[in-house]
Amino acid sequence: MSTRLEQRRAQHQRYKEDVKEHGKPFFPGAMWHDTVMSLVVVCVIIALASIWYFTSGENPEDAGLLGPRYTEEADAGTTNFIPRPDWYFYFLFYLLRIFKWPDSVILGTVGIPTILLMLMVGLPFFDLRRERRLLRRPVAVVAAILVVLSMGVLTYKGATQEEALGGDATVVADWVDRNNLPASAREGATLFNETGCQQCHVYLGSGSANLGAPDLSDIGSLGGKTEDYFTRYVANPRTFGNNVMPVYGQANGGSLDDQQLGNLAKFLAASKGEG
Amino acid sequence: MARRAPSSRRQQLERAALVPVDWLEERSGLAGGIKYFLFRKVPADINWMQTLGSATLTAFIVQAVTGVVLAMYYKPDPDAAYASILRITNDVTLGWLVRGMHKWGASVFIILMFFHMARVFLFGAYKYPRELNWIVGVGLLALGLFEGFTGYLLPWDETAYWASVVGININGTAPILGPFIVQFLQSGIEIGEDTISRFYALHMLVLPGAIGGLIGLHLYLVVRLGVTSPPWSPEAAGRERVEPGPSTNGNGRAGLVRPGARSGAPR
Ligand code: HEC
Ligand code: HEM
Repeated sequence: MSTRLEQRRAQHQRYKEDVKEHGKPFFPGAMWHDTVMSLVVVCVIIALASIWYFTSGENPEDAGLLGPRYTEEADAGTTNFIPRPDWYFYFLFYLLRIFKWPDSVILGTVGIPTILLMLMVGLPFFDLRRERRLLRRPVAVVAAILVVLSMGVLTYKGATQEEALGGDATVVADWVDRNNLPASAREGATLFNETGCQQCHVYLGSGSANLGAPDLSDIGSLGGKTEDYFTRYVANPRTFGNNVMPVYGQANGGSLDDQQLGNLAKFLAASKGEG
Repeated sequence: MARRAPSSRRQQLERAALVPVDWLEERSGLAGGIKYFLFRKVPADINWMQTLGSATLTAFIVQAVTGVVLAMYYKPDPDAAYASILRITNDVTLGWLVRGMHKWGASVFIILMFFHMARVFLFGAYKYPRELNWIVGVGLLALGLFEGFTGYLLPWDETAYWASVVGININGTAPILGPFIVQFLQSGIEIGEDTISRFYALHMLVLPGAIGGLIGLHLYLVVRLGVTSPPWSPEAAGRERVEPGPSTNGNGRAGLVRPGARSGAPR
């Protein structure tokens, strides 16, 4: 019985001999195939670019078959733009909907990608058999199908995720109504709606739950959360161990002044949920 | 190389064509390298699926070329980036084509990387002695995705901006390192002036450089180790020869029930 390593070496030796005896030169046959395929790739890219351009217009609203040429210019103050990465990150994006902050979001954002990376790097070291025929590699085939299926489903889910976004006066009026907000909280409600909080937070069904940020509809009814707490929290979430939410206090380099922070805090404290 | 005597005219032509080649060879030895690359033997039964690697390379080259052209017109500055994108798309001659090819080529590049990886997986081509090349490939995939991420911000439209907000925040959830990664990517408390030039530098210098270098290593290993035959090919190079020993029950290619299969080489 020879060792596994000796067998692998013998096999590669056999491979080299076979290629030497029965192989054919890379040029012209194989290179011709490569060239044809490369031309196809370039043509597909040009076709996509043309369809994209000729079916769309100069105006960001004139989206063509493959989407608009561009959206409006970036504006950190926009309220209701649905944040969405490029398609090949949809799976990751969707994982964040499954794993909620803070208990398990790390699993979704860091854990699963790291595990995937480790599995990929490790693959040649787990799978030590020399067998390459698919029918004799049932574990590998099943694993591959599972990976493709789950990535496909996650990507699809991420792509078709419905976002219930508000972003106008009617939404704020609706909140005032449903949550019985006092007059002093209206200023803050509008600000909340316009400052981009709903990129991550849901409020009475509007907004998109990103990065596991909590629904804030009844945040004011939870014990110990006072106006003062909210002011300090939103001004600098870092001091509360939140490294995800942006820093808003002007004193900390953010975009909101003390009065705005105060208004937001009044609104949050007054948010006690429906009923 | 024994050849039939060619006509004298053909001989003359061949000699003339070889002059620059000989010149190069004498001074650099490069011609020999190219000749080796072109005329090295590959298995006779290679398959169309094995063109996916070079197709990926082509997509990368398309990105490099269109990227250089875009860099001649693009301005990595929050106040000017969006306007320069509008100008490239709508005003510059064929600017739409260059930007369109770069935009869509990025997706094609990523898809081709996945397809190529799938074919390597199906062929079991990551096994000895090609483990290292698989790992180089995983590195290329990671860098390719990161290249896509950094490029996405540059048009500085709403899509770009908010995708990067989410992307950066996702990085922020990493344990311990999170805040540092965010600080590094964003270079400030918010996405702004420094973020865009940082992403630009990564996107057009660091990452393409790294990807280019790794592709070089990848191709070196491909040429050195040779490409695998399709595993199902009856003529597959390096295939197991049926040992005429008594332990095989007459048929080396049995189906699911393989009595005594374990007695041969471990599979
Ligand atoms: C990038 C995403 C993001 C944005 C934008 C964002 N937040 Fe948050 N926020 C979070 C996350 C994630 C948490 C949860 C942190 C935790 O549980 O440790 C959070 C927590 C909070 C909390 C704390 C709730 C509690 O349980 O104490 C409040 C209040 C809050 N956010 C208000 C706001 C306001 C007001 C805005 C807009 C000015 C805003 N957030 C914008 C991500 C975001
Ligand atoms: C920038 C991206 C990449 C380029 C340009 C590239 C290019 C190539 C080329 C030209 C080949 C020759 C054979 C073929 O075309 O199939 C090849 C083979 C190979 N590639 Fe890639 N590749 C890339 C990414 C990857 C990735 C993501 C993986 C896997 C994780 C990978 C793993 C391999 C392996 C193991 C081989 C050897 C296959 C064999 O011997 O049959 N490559 N690559």
